[in-house]
Amino acid sequence: MKNDISKKETWAWLWILPVIAILSLFYVVPIVKVGLYSFTNASFFGGKFHYTLNTYGFLFSSGTFWIMLKTTLLFVIASVIFQFLLGFSISLALVDGENRKLLGTTFVRTAVLSAWVIPGVVIGIVWKLLLTGASYGILNYYIKVLTGYAIPFLSSPTWALVSIIIANVWRGTAFSMIILYGGLKQVPQELYEAAQIDGASAWKRLIHVTIPQLKQVIFINLALITIYTFNTFDMIMALTGGGPGRATEVLSIYSYDSVFERWALSQGAASAIVLLVINLIIVIFYYRTMKVGENNA
Amino acid sequence: MHNRRKELYRNILLYSIYALVIIFFLFPVLWALSLSFRSLKDVFRYPPHLIPSHFTFENYTTVFNTSLIKTYLINSSIYVLFTVIGTIILSVPAAYAFSRMRNKAKGPLLIIILAFQMISPLIIAIPIYGYFQQLHLLNNYLGVIIAYIAIQLPFATWLMKGYFDTIPISIEEAARIDGCTRFQSLIRVVLPLSLPGLATALIFTVIQSWGQFLIPFILLSNSRLFPITLGLYQYQVSESIHTNFIASASIISIIPAILIFLILQKFIVKSLTRGAVKG
Repeated sequence: MKNDISKKETWAWLWILPVIAILSLFYVVPIVKVGLYSFTNASFFGGKFHYTLNTYGFLFSSGTFWIMLKTTLLFVIASVIFQFLLGFSISLALVDGENRKLLGTTFVRTAVLSAWVIPGVVIGIVWKLLLTGASYGILNYYIKVLTGYAIPFLSSPTWALVSIIIANVWRGTAFSMIILYGGLKQVPQELYEAAQIDGASAWKRLIHVTIPQLKQVIFINLALITIYTFNTFDMIMALTGGGPGRATEVLSIYSYDSVFERWALSQGAASAIVLLVINLIIVIFYYRTMKVGENNA
Repeated sequence: MHNRRKELYRNILLYSIYALVIIFFLFPVLWALSLSFRSLKDVFRYPPHLIPSHFTFENYTTVFNTSLIKTYLINSSIYVLFTVIGTIILSVPAAYAFSRMRNKAKGPLLIIILAFQMISPLIIAIPIYGYFQQLHLLNNYLGVIIAYIAIQLPFATWLMKGYFDTIPISIEEAARIDGCTRFQSLIRVVLPLSLPGLATALIFTVIQSWGQFLIPFILLSNSRLFPITLGLYQYQVSESIHTNFIASASIISIIPAILIFLILQKFIVKSLTRGAVKG
């Protein structure tokens, strides 16, 4: 074995090389390039440009940027809270049902997970068919029957934001559910039995046994769904296209539009860097949580 | 007696939760399915009704015959197939090497790969558009496939590395003593033991590549090369397309993803619950 170390592991580096080469070409160089563009006044069509800090100055002093950022944060925070709560509740109900040998738990799990394998664009289209104000918008028909009013799900700015949150919760709950479900299955059964003997109620067992045991899984889950939600693009494009007006324009759509619709390469690059910084902060948080878990194990 | 009643209430409560969950998650797709079997007149009949007044398959045949959907489905299959092949060929040896090496650079490299896996593809897509323009890889099958592989590679490498870590080196040592090379011991000893991990990497690559939208949205403008996601997006954006056609086209695009999922569900659930998937 000692021999292996002294061989300097040349073979390993050779085997890794193709992956490193591709990742350098497709990640390292592009990220550096986006970073450089963000400090220029470059346009999408090329031509001469010079280096400047004005792009960020313009971005941070523009009202639309902050409105967009607020929309993004509302979208992310609401999505994450509901995805987590819903995913957690469903996983608890599933594990409880399995312990009681109830029928249909596998079917419930499959139904939730199937939402997660559908392409984002299709999710957007399917929800549009459901929420539309047209006569086949069945949800509005039921709401009208119950309350007398129709809800402008896709035509009012506020409701459009609510709509993309609902559709995103529908899409992302499966991931939280399955990760937390996996965590719940690992909690030693004896802990619950001990708590039960002590006379702890179901609620107390949840607060004092389940949640502390799942702490790391919960943090990892929160970090991942936060990142996925920040990066959402396809579903919103199909459901609202960022509208009405710019009511559902989140960071990724703003960057895309800046570059490919408004041809403002430098501005799009600067907003992409904002997205990158947010992504990296969450990655660091995620990695630290994972490390803590490994050290404790 | 008292306890039994309490148990019964609890079971009823659980079943009610299950019913609500099933309705919430299945209703949107079932509604699209229901619309896809209607004539246009039936779609717009008010008040709307859950079940079509009479079922028709006409929308499906019309969509197949009048749109490019066949082309889109074939394109998506080509992209997915070559992405899977490329991703597996590149990630398996690299993941194995990462798992077995002890160099100090390993930790930082793995963190960087993890970060790449999580950043939005939009960030890298902006400069890649520029590259591909110069290399004439825009509107090109190869360009799309290379970009897809680059997107899938970090995740597949992490996943396989995690799996290889669980296979003890001692198992390989016997093979190495018998004169197997590294590569032979990977192919003959380690890989057969890693089939569940490999299956998981494969499923994720298939599902994510099938649903990929951003990359083709940026790299492609020729509709003959569109994958199903982009084709469907353009299809529903054009105002003249009828709702019942959009519904049936959506259902067509979901079927492959759902089928793969249902067939291989066991692997997905297993690997997600054992925590092998961390992203």
